[in-house]
Amino acid sequence: MTDKTRDDLDQPGSETLGSAGDKHKMTLFKDDRQEDLGAIALSILLVLLVVVLTT
Amino acid sequence: MLDFVKKLPRAMPGLILIVATLYVIRTWIEPWMASAVILGQKGWLIKVFHLNYILLGIIAGMIYRNLLFPLLFKAEMPELFADGFKLSRLLIKTGIILLGSLYTVQAIVTLGATAIFLIGAFVALTIVMVLWLGKLFGLDRSMTGVLANALSICGVSAAVATAPAVEAKGSDVAYAIATILGFGIATMFISPFIGHALGLTDLQYGAWVGTGILNSGQVLATALAFNPKVEPGSAVAVAEIWNIMRVISIPFAVFAVTVWYWSAKASEQATERKGLGTLLVEKFPLFVLGFIGMVLLTSLGAFGDVGLKGGPPASATIKMLREWMQWVFGFGLVGLGAYISLKELARAGGAPLKVGLIVGTTKYVLALLVVLAIKDHLVAL
Repeated sequence: MTDKTRDDLDQPGSETLGSAGDKHKMTLFKDDRQEDLGAIALSILLVLLVVVLTT
Repeated sequence: MLDFVKKLPRAMPGLILIVATLYVIRTWIEPWMASAVILGQKGWLIKVFHLNYILLGIIAGMIYRNLLFPLLFKAEMPELFADGFKLSRLLIKTGIILLGSLYTVQAIVTLGATAIFLIGAFVALTIVMVLWLGKLFGLDRSMTGVLANALSICGVSAAVATAPAVEAKGSDVAYAIATILGFGIATMFISPFIGHALGLTDLQYGAWVGTGILNSGQVLATALAFNPKVEPGSAVAVAEIWNIMRVISIPFAVFAVTVWYWSAKASEQATERKGLGTLLVEKFPLFVLGFIGMVLLTSLGAFGDVGLKGGPPASATIKMLREWMQWVFGFGLVGLGAYISLKELARAGGAPLKVGLIVGTTKYVLALLVVLAIKDHLVAL
C-alpha cells in the first residue's frame, strides 16, 4: 500500500474491504445507519408482498 | 435515503448480474451437481466438497472480481456493475431481519441466554488478548484498538465504528479489515468440512461458527454452507442468534476500547471521548430492531404457524418467506464474494496480520472446544 493510498483512504463509515476512497464504499447509502433503515424498509415491503400473495 | 433512490437505476446492471448468477446456480448448476455421477458416486461434488448454492454464489462473486472483470473490463469492479454489487450488504441485512420469522420470543430468550454468556466472554477475552499482543508486537495504540474490536465483535462494522474513537488512520482500518477478512474467508470454506467430520449437529455448529467467526456475512455463509435449509433449529437459525448478540455488543466494546485508548492520554486531551450513552445512540445497529420486530410479529402469530418441531406445520406465508430468504441471502452472498479481492487481501501483512492470525485462530479453536464441552447444555430451538 503506497503512502498516497494511505492518505486517500476514506473516512470511517466507508466499510471497504481494504480499499481506498469513496468509490469503493461497500454500500449505496450515506452510512451504516441509512443502510439499516433501508434494510428495514425493504423487509417490510417483502413481508407485505408475501402476505398479500399467500392470503 | 433520497440519494439512494437516485442511485438505484445505476445499480440495475450489477443487480441483474447478481440475480442471474444465483438463478443459474440454483436452477441448473446445483441440480446438476446433485445428480452428476463422478468417480462412480452420485452427487460426489456435494458429498465431498459440501458445495451448495451459497458457496457456489460466493465463489462466482470471487471469480467475477478476481478473474472475469479484470479480463473483460481491465478493472476488478467495473463502473457498470459497481453500484449493483454495493447492494449486497443491504440484502444480507434484509435477510437477517426476515430471519426473525424463524423464532419465537421464548426461543430467543432460551437460546439468547447461552449466546449472551458465550459472546460476552469471547468478546472480553479477545479484546484483552489483542491489547496484550498489540503491546508485545509493538503496534501503535490506534491500530491495536481497531484490531481489538475487529477481531472481537463484527469485523468490518466494528473496525469502522472504533476508528474515530481511537484516532485511527484509514490505513489502520484497511489493514485490520484485510486481516480479518482473509482469516474469515479461510474459515468460511473449511468450517463445513470440520463440522461434518466431527458430526456436529446444527445447534452445535451454529453456536461454534456464531462465536468463532469474525464477520456477519461470513457467519451467515458458513452456517448456510453447512446446512442450506432456513428453518427453526437449522445451523443458520442458531448462528444468527449468536451473531445478533455479537452485533448488539458493538457500542459496549467501542466504549471499552475507547476508555483503554484514552487512559494513556493526558486528561485535557480526552475531552473528545464519548460516553456509553452517546455511543449506544450513535452505534447501535438499527437493523437489529427490524429483526426484533419480526420475532415479535411471528410470536404474535401474524404469519401463522412457524413449523416448530412437534407442532403444526409452517403456514404458507412462513414457507414463502423462508424460500424468499434463501434467495435474498444468496443474492447478498454473491455480492459479498465480489468484494473479496485477493490482491487487496495480500496487502495485509506484518505485525497486524500476525496478531490477527494468532487471535483469530485461538478464538476459532477455543469456540469449538467450548461448544463441544457444553454441548449437552445447549438448548435446541
